[in-house]
Amino acid sequence: MLQTRPDLGAPEPYTFPKPRRLAVGGGTVVAIDVPGQTFAAVRLVHQAGGASEPPENMGVAALANEALEDGVHGNSSLAPALERHGAEWVSRVTWDSFVTGVDAPVTRLRDATALLAEAVRAPALRDEDVLRRRDQILERFWLDASVPSTLATRAIGGQLFTGRYATPLGGAPERLKGVTPQDVRDFHTSSIAAVAGTLVIVGDLAGVDLEELGATVFGGARAAQAPASTPPGPAPGDLPRVLILDRPDSVQSALLMAQRAPARTQVDLPRADGVSDVLGGMFTSRLNMELRERLGYTYGVGCRFDLRRDSGVFLISTQVDTETTAHSLTASLAEIDRLQREGVTDGELSAVRESNTVGLPVTYSTPRSLAGALVEMVVHDLPEDHIDRLRAGFERLTAADLAEAAGEYLRPREMVTVIAGDAKRLEGPLSEAGAGPVTVRDPETLWS
Amino acid sequence: MTTNGAARRVDQFTLDNGLRLVTAPASTPQVAAVNLWYGVGSRFEVPGRTGFAHLFEHLMFQGSGNVAKGEHFDAVERLGGEINASTSTDRTNYYETVPEHALDLVLWLEADRLATLREGMSQEVLDNQRDVVKNERRQRYDNQPYGTALERILRLAYPEGHPYHHATIGSMADLDAADLDYVLDFHRRHYGPDNAVLTVVSNLDPQDVRDRVERYFGAIPARPRTAEAPDAGLTGLLGGPVADRVVETVPAPGVFLGYRVAPYGEGDFDVMHLASAVLGQGQGSRLYRRLVLERGLAADDGGAAADLLPFRYTPSLMLVNMIAREGVSGDTLEEAMIEEIGTLAEGVSDEELERARAILERDHLQTLSHPAGLADSIGSCTQLFGDPELAFTWPQRWSSVTTEDVVDLAKRLLVAENRLSVRFDPESAGEPAAAPAGGSAG
Repeated sequence: MLQTRPDLGAPEPYTFPKPRRLAVGGGTVVAIDVPGQTFAAVRLVHQAGGASEPPENMGVAALANEALEDGVHGNSSLAPALERHGAEWVSRVTWDSFVTGVDAPVTRLRDATALLAEAVRAPALRDEDVLRRRDQILERFWLDASVPSTLATRAIGGQLFTGRYATPLGGAPERLKGVTPQDVRDFHTSSIAAVAGTLVIVGDLAGVDLEELGATVFGGARAAQAPASTPPGPAPGDLPRVLILDRPDSVQSALLMAQRAPARTQVDLPRADGVSDVLGGMFTSRLNMELRERLGYTYGVGCRFDLRRDSGVFLISTQVDTETTAHSLTASLAEIDRLQREGVTDGELSAVRESNTVGLPVTYSTPRSLAGALVEMVVHDLPEDHIDRLRAGFERLTAADLAEAAGEYLRPREMVTVIAGDAKRLEGPLSEAGAGPVTVRDPETLWS
Repeated sequence: MTTNGAARRVDQFTLDNGLRLVTAPASTPQVAAVNLWYGVGSRFEVPGRTGFAHLFEHLMFQGSGNVAKGEHFDAVERLGGEINASTSTDRTNYYETVPEHALDLVLWLEADRLATLREGMSQEVLDNQRDVVKNERRQRYDNQPYGTALERILRLAYPEGHPYHHATIGSMADLDAADLDYVLDFHRRHYGPDNAVLTVVSNLDPQDVRDRVERYFGAIPARPRTAEAPDAGLTGLLGGPVADRVVETVPAPGVFLGYRVAPYGEGDFDVMHLASAVLGQGQGSRLYRRLVLERGLAADDGGAAADLLPFRYTPSLMLVNMIAREGVSGDTLEEAMIEEIGTLAEGVSDEELERARAILERDHLQTLSHPAGLADSIGSCTQLFGDPELAFTWPQRWSSVTTEDVVDLAKRLLVAENRLSVRFDPESAGEPAAAPAGGSAG
């Protein structure tokens, strides 16, 4: 005898674990103890991301970040040293941050953190290593851009912004060629080595001396200063518009619809993320139910906000059959229109509220995700109860909030649609899609 | 030796209908990870029916007797849970991670589609998901540079008619040919509680979990007959060297080499797993140090050139893949890779083997460090080897492997007679390789 659908009781209230926080020298250690979690995540956060790079050195942060992997002895010596401890180097540059770190068994935390410290504070940064990395990045730029979704994503910045955001985060070929090993060393010395930063540690911390780890990593480096931020200007040209990046004979199109959004501090996250969830943030969102589950046009479609310290982007992305590309675009615009005119259903409201509140134990069930939340709090200077405040914000959401947010945050008339696909088959249908005039470009010409 | 302290806390139960249940503790509170491994994958597919196991996986989300289309995803997503499924040659697994209080709902959803999927199936649903899967195929294979490599590798590695000769995604023609009767029959043949391992990772009492599972799954009958898999037996070397040369729109020459090795689970598989790490995993690996750093022949992949493709029921494959640097021909890179692979037979140092062991252990521990990964590992070890504890003790298998073991096996297996090669070259051969060729997408 099969059972009937069970009624769920109320979930246990969730509270984000309170981090331990201690000042060590010029830096701060922020840690979460997860008893029984034998694999730890360690992250060192600096504020020197891509957004603060000067125009003549675009890509220097990403290049420096990679070059740290050459270690104190050069010649890619860091990873093998970590590998012997069963540890892994984890690093990335975002527009607003420069993050380095290791994932390691807690039993090897001391050794792995010592290697992190010397790699960040005293890397060799030899000419030959930096040049090798730079040349590899330059070649990889085109290797990666041969993937249609990557190509389209990289083109978005130049369609929405002037200034630094117009060029991809890692830089672009012509400019990057001019970044020298000395530029990398100068950037590293002033923005990374000399600045203590914040050390994030998550794992079973029994027997772990946080102060000692902090002292190892910070040494005598000075405290960080609040980063300056200047809002970027818009890219020239009328909106909306469509840009086709010609990829002859593609059987599919990578379709991106992007618009500018406010800076992170200016966005009410529960309202904005809530409306994004309803439109395309979940499997059961409107775009996916329409384009995938009803029309069968795509393997998947999604949308999200990419919010930065001084600006933001809202982005819808999918990959669709060439023949259905124009209809996918108009169908997506129709879903935005319907959301703005009719607001959300009770079911959608409850899905947004529940998924962003009761699901928190799932979201934060890994050392990496806990560390990720702490890194975000450091980068954006958020209070340590940020996650709990966010949860409370979602719990308060109403249908009226989401309807209002749909009008406030979704701007279809300000969208740029970027499509990597077969121009000769796309140009005609797209010019009738009502998403603005269509331009075709050879991808090669974008960054030269 | 690295073990997880939870090793002694795995509990196993078998229901009367044959469903195997394994429970294990989670390292963070208030969460439950559920993973169902069904013993069916693309190895059960016959010519003309390729891609079916995976298409069927999609259909499992399209509604069943008491669950509407979309309801399964909706129920889990509104709990903030994680939900998905995957299909390989050897299994199909379905998994959800949810807040602990929602465990019953997930068990009910899984039980309902196991017991009553056929009641929710329709031609319309099949047609829609066929289109979705065809777009998945375009997105992941046909519209990606080097995207057809795996299909080409399998065609060379296993003879025509062998169940591992084709890739799990299947062909467009076979997807088009899938019909509703076959869907219903596939469910009847393969989806029974006796063909599944259910793993639950949570902090609930194991007996409590067992009672809940009994409540939802206990009444589902076992299959009347066990499905028979096509014969996958294969002995000897690959019969190489064999090659597939492709000229198409790619940004640079790409070399994929494959060698037949032991089935997943055998001791020789572990030896070759370590060999692949010595050769091509991490920035301390030979291929990275020689071909990326010293000779500058290959694009920097961060040290991810070699790995094993694990098959339980037939010889597995060791795959080695690199992309050429600008100005380096495919021939030059391929020769250099073969030469470097050949050096394994000349000797391996203790330090290299230790590094390889540390890397594999690290990856293993990382998988176990989150509830979904732990549940998946346990499901795998139970379904494929009948031993959930292996999920925790697997690294011990690497500890007894010696440098002589690696060298001996390399001498036997990493030879031309056992090698396949799939090569992609840009259409405009002779021009600088990594620059975007005229008219291509670059």
